[in-house]
Amino acid sequence: MSISKRAFLYVTRKRGKTILLFAILLIMATFVLTGLSIWKASETALLDLRQSMGGKFDIFPDWENSPYIVKETVTDNEVNEETGKTSYSYLMYSAVQFTPENIAAIKGIPGVKYCSARLDDLLPFDGLSLFPGTLPTDAKYQGCTKVLGVCDTQDDQLFTTGTLTLSEGRHIFADDVHTAIISRDLAERNELNIGDYLTAHSYSTEDQDFTGPEIKVQIIGLFTPDAVERFGEMVTTYDMIQNRIFVDVQTAKEMDSGGINYGFSALYVTIYDPQDMARVVADVKALPEIDWKAFIIEADNEAYESAAAPLAALNELVMTLLVIIIVVSAIILALILTLWTKTRIHEIGVFLSVGISKPAIIGQYLIEVLLIAVLAFGLSYFTSSAIADQIGSHLLEQSMQTKSDEDDTVTAAAVDVDADNLIQKPLPTESGIQVSVGPDNLARLYLIGLIIIIVAVSASSITVMRLHPREILSKMS
Amino acid sequence: MSKLELKNVSYAYEKGRNVLQNISAELETGKMYAILGPSGSGKTTLLSLLGGLDVPTQGSVLFDGEDITAKGLEYHRRNRISLIFQSYNLIDYMTPIENVQLTARLDAEPILVRLGLTKDEVSRNVLKLSGGQQQRAAIARALASDAPVILADEPTGNLDADTAREITAILKESAHTFGKCVVVVTHSGDVAKQADMILEIKRGHLNEYPRY
Repeated sequence: MSISKRAFLYVTRKRGKTILLFAILLIMATFVLTGLSIWKASETALLDLRQSMGGKFDIFPDWENSPYIVKETVTDNEVNEETGKTSYSYLMYSAVQFTPENIAAIKGIPGVKYCSARLDDLLPFDGLSLFPGTLPTDAKYQGCTKVLGVCDTQDDQLFTTGTLTLSEGRHIFADDVHTAIISRDLAERNELNIGDYLTAHSYSTEDQDFTGPEIKVQIIGLFTPDAVERFGEMVTTYDMIQNRIFVDVQTAKEMDSGGINYGFSALYVTIYDPQDMARVVADVKALPEIDWKAFIIEADNEAYESAAAPLAALNELVMTLLVIIIVVSAIILALILTLWTKTRIHEIGVFLSVGISKPAIIGQYLIEVLLIAVLAFGLSYFTSSAIADQIGSHLLEQSMQTKSDEDDTVTAAAVDVDADNLIQKPLPTESGIQVSVGPDNLARLYLIGLIIIIVAVSASSITVMRLHPREILSKMS
Repeated sequence: MSKLELKNVSYAYEKGRNVLQNISAELETGKMYAILGPSGSGKTTLLSLLGGLDVPTQGSVLFDGEDITAKGLEYHRRNRISLIFQSYNLIDYMTPIENVQLTARLDAEPILVRLGLTKDEVSRNVLKLSGGQQQRAAIARALASDAPVILADEPTGNLDADTAREITAILKESAHTFGKCVVVVTHSGDVAKQADMILEIKRGHLNEYPRY
């Protein structure tokens, strides 16, 4: 008679023990499967969080240590009425700047999502009617708006964060020349359409005004802001989001008022996964074309770490609970099976006397438990499905509560970049986690269950299996 | 013809206190042997050594001239001997036919029917059978295993006189008709009378007598 047939006969004929073992295994499996499902859900939520938030680091001039910092005194051509002296100001910039080739090299590093840079300036456009701001500005800036020179508007943080959306036309790319993207509101206010031209003049150092050569830029796209300034918000005309104008790098250089920008002084890099931050930063630092005496990198993972803290805490909690459940289950199962094995000493003696080996006897016990476990584990899919979501949400709530008590951190994904307020994105943790049992977790349960059962059956069989057949037969009689 | 042989066998539970001392004997197939002796004389110990359930402290047990440990005691138990106990030792969650099928090399049901169990009884749980029926099932298990040696420890000890006689007759038939070497440990004179050879253990030594 085969081992499996003996096991099947035992399981079907000893119904009381079978039902009891089934109940124990079902409870055990429900806990393990629930733990696995919550753990998987929090892992998925962490991954979502990482992917939705990304990581950010900025590269900017090392103002303190760079040997390329230039400090120039600039005459303002204005006389102080009280002192009667001409006023001066200082112009400080890095002589080493980033080129579009540097941006392309950084974008080529695995894990980098966006790399953007801006050349920004304030200048007027001929005949362009701007939306008036609520904050007064210096006379020399009246009629000016903020012009952002970018390599690729697709990579600019205002677009990547969804603060602005290209509603018509196309983006500006690295090889574009004399192109612009303006807001739809500004276009409507000035009755402009895609294909129309805006005219500006470059800065004349002689006149100290925008009276230099004429620059015509063609409107190739219109953007729509997803949020505009709130009513009553204090904002200058040139800072109004509707007045913002994006131009290509070439045009920005031509418009440059200071004549000091042949490239970008700072870069803003967004990566897919904040966990890759150290590796990506190291790869960027390894780029030979960038002179690192001139720049420093400032990585910002704080927002991700704050947002991920409750999920990480939940993950840790669930892992701890899982380990405890698995160990306790193995111990309980081993104890019960040990008790039952001792009641089966007669049977063991008979098997040994007819030449059935000890491994074959243990194998039968193992198959018996596995036969019951297959059914119990299968049913645990439904019991676990019923409770996993509730327990998961409860544990996450507790983790969030604990973390906020500990750190008093605000979990927000939005980052303030320069003067532009980026849109606040809801974090995955704010909407809780979706716990579903799933076949992958069930497969893990079967694997863990198999290990628990093997350990428990082996442990329970040790005492009896160490006995000599003669001793077992003596115990029988 | 197969032969089970004890060669200068001694056995001690404690050092220096031999239960069996330098015993030698030859047990052949086709014969029924009865092992007699007072309680505690080492009858069951001798049966255990013959059955490969234990190993002698000194000497060796041979089967067809080969030490039974050469191929392993498990092999010896599985292929060369079958054991019958006073308490039947059937598996309680199996029917008689399933108990026989545990080690059967022969068709189980005809053997059970030949030993007096009905077709209904062979499919009934063993705990619902009488002592005699259970012992018949145990003997059927021994016969169906087709082992050349049957070792029986007090096989009639729990049975009434009539059933004991029937069981003894079956054992005798197993030796004479089926060619088995049947070794029976017994206190019963009636059983011993049916044996072809008497082996008596006294103070650790074995004496052989042709008849009771």
